[in-house]
Amino acid sequence: MGRAVGIIGTGQTKHGRRDDVSYPDLVREAVNAAFEDAGITPEDIDGVVFGSMPSMMEGMAYNHFYFADAMRAVGKPILRAETCGSTGQSIAHTGVHWVSSGMADIVLVVGSEKQHEGDAQATMMTILEPFLQLSAGGAPVAFSMQSREWMGYYHIAEEKAREAAAIISVDCHNAGANNPLAHIRKRFTKEEVMNAPIITYPVRLLDVCPSSDGACAVIFASEEKAKKICETPAWVKGMGFRGEEYFIGDSSKAVWQSAIEASREAYKQAGITNPRKELDVAEIYNPFSYQELMFLECLGLCPLGKAADYVIDGVFSPGGELSCDPSGGVLCTNPIGATGLIRLAEAAMQVTGKAGSRQIEGAKLALSHAMGGAEQFNGVTIVGSEL
Amino acid sequence: MKKVGIVEVTQSPGAESSLSLMEFTYKTVKELLDKVGMRRDEVDTYVMASSDVLHSGMSCANSFDIDATGGFLKPFSRTEGDAITAFVYGCMRIMSGNYDTALIVGLIKGSENADNDTITSCFADPFYSRPTGINETTAAAMQMRLYLQRYGITEEQCAKVVVKNLGNALFNPYTHIKKRVSVEDVLGSERICDPLKAMECAPKSDGVCAMLLASEEKAKELTDKPVWFKGWGASMDTFYLGDRDLLDTPLKSAAASAYKMAGISNPRKAIDMAEICEPYAFQELLWCEQLGLCGQGEGGKLIDSGATQMNGSLPVNPSGGVLAMNPYVSRGLYRVAEAALQIKGKAGEHQIDKKVNTALAHATYGFCGQWQGVVILGS
Repeated sequence: MGRAVGIIGTGQTKHGRRDDVSYPDLVREAVNAAFEDAGITPEDIDGVVFGSMPSMMEGMAYNHFYFADAMRAVGKPILRAETCGSTGQSIAHTGVHWVSSGMADIVLVVGSEKQHEGDAQATMMTILEPFLQLSAGGAPVAFSMQSREWMGYYHIAEEKAREAAAIISVDCHNAGANNPLAHIRKRFTKEEVMNAPIITYPVRLLDVCPSSDGACAVIFASEEKAKKICETPAWVKGMGFRGEEYFIGDSSKAVWQSAIEASREAYKQAGITNPRKELDVAEIYNPFSYQELMFLECLGLCPLGKAADYVIDGVFSPGGELSCDPSGGVLCTNPIGATGLIRLAEAAMQVTGKAGSRQIEGAKLALSHAMGGAEQFNGVTIVGSEL
Repeated sequence: MKKVGIVEVTQSPGAESSLSLMEFTYKTVKELLDKVGMRRDEVDTYVMASSDVLHSGMSCANSFDIDATGGFLKPFSRTEGDAITAFVYGCMRIMSGNYDTALIVGLIKGSENADNDTITSCFADPFYSRPTGINETTAAAMQMRLYLQRYGITEEQCAKVVVKNLGNALFNPYTHIKKRVSVEDVLGSERICDPLKAMECAPKSDGVCAMLLASEEKAKELTDKPVWFKGWGASMDTFYLGDRDLLDTPLKSAAASAYKMAGISNPRKAIDMAEICEPYAFQELLWCEQLGLCGQGEGGKLIDSGATQMNGSLPVNPSGGVLAMNPYVSRGLYRVAEAALQIKGKAGEHQIDKKVNTALAHATYGFCGQWQGVVILGS
């Protein structure tokens, strides 16, 4: 790794249906919150990174033009990075590399989405090319198939997987109710989850994330600047990102290589050998409860094929060995372009003791993660309280 | 700061391609890997540039493109916007010390897209600007009108840019438009958005450009003539055209940052050649001013003087520029590639006569150049 990089400020909007603000206003809300948290002004920023989902989501092409003023980016260099659902992690990695390269000291990274101004599923249908794969379009279809592939591959009894996914949903909704910024703030029982209406078998309504409006901003700084500006920076300890082949049948989605290798690279950089024991918090990208089970395995947090057992044993529930998604996760909040960055912001808040009502006592090392594409991309960033 | 070298570049043929987007991309990437003698898994990291709106009707472009770029299961990222940002991000990844080699790919198949301006009209906000019918071309026409009026630049001077660049393109096998034209031809072409004439506007092209970058040590190992990344700068203007002076653009500050990083105090002396993004002919003159390659309002005199001709003192767009080849997303990476080829002395028939030590590559997109980026390369 080059120069050490620290997070000196984070900002999020209140997520949900935000008819009260325009899209640029929404972006500005997160950016202003980050400046307030870091205690610096836009003049201190050397560069800006922006990312969101494809333009079709809100009908604006290259919307960083539109948000130039809201991001306080006028007169500054701005890069745009985008990798579908994993955009939030990709823009963070761009910001870290920018500072680490020595070409900037302080970089503002912004991700956003205003999904109530467009049709997210219609956009996601167009990720699949129009000739061979279009009939499998839309996120629930693809991810339900993946859930079935995983159950089949490891011979996991359907009832067991169902129970484990329901526990994840219950835990996340409880956590979301505890997070003032979350979109969905309602608690459910295991029975309610298991009896919710079917979306695409086996996925039911309460196994699925909402469609949210929201933005997130994170400010990265070089070691020198971070120490000067911030009493408790969250240090970037490791990063990994991998993508897989495009056609869904070309790679195993039960043993998800992109997630396995992305997390391995991040753990290696961070010097982590036993992630479940060493990590204090994991902010996992879980738009579908079943997917979190696969992530727990592929991110190396439990043995392959065993996530359901671990979840039923309470290993990843509040008070368990490793707290997952104390923010409520993607199941409670999903403004897609911001979602992966929210995971990192939440991880940074945890290791710096700024997580308020959702603080995990004494958290020192946290993982953040995002997934995107046609079940293709996985990005991981690990932050810690110590350099 | 660590040094980064360009090892090798490849470009797709200029003509519209009948290949699928995936095959079209793969061919240029494979050619690059073969040229440097590497396998795809030997490259440390991949950064690609493609656009979700200029991508054959498919969103999340990198989902589809990853196979053909060779970046699957390798450290990977993608910039959205002009591909010059993928080049810069690739440099950052190497400079951070995390990786020694980076493969950069910019890709677009314009022939499978709607007209560029159907898409650029979506740059405008849907409430105030878009209902006026604004797009990149209508915005550029307003900028040109202002340029002619404020500085007395003539339409003939603007037309000369087309004559020069299309003339240069005749010697570049990787360009789309192959046509020798005269000033009269340009002035006589249809006025599509007064004062812009049809021949003063760039076409819509298919183009993949691939580039291998390496750390100093690795670059020296892989090639006997690395081209070094010396500096870059970028800047963003405010959104609404009415809030801007269209002749005083963020290119000035982008250039200032790039020159500072490259240690250039007098760009007119230091720069040996420039590849400038001119989707509209007059913009080459205006951008030369903003880059400090001539005085303010002197873009017309610059083209009259012949300095920017292939055999002039400061050749601009010896490749033929964007007027001859406009793969919208990858065109900025093409500028870097062409500048690198000139420094390497490998530009073939459009190699300029004098020795090139320092070259400038420029990219822009957005209404009247809302985003501007400058890269300086050196021998």
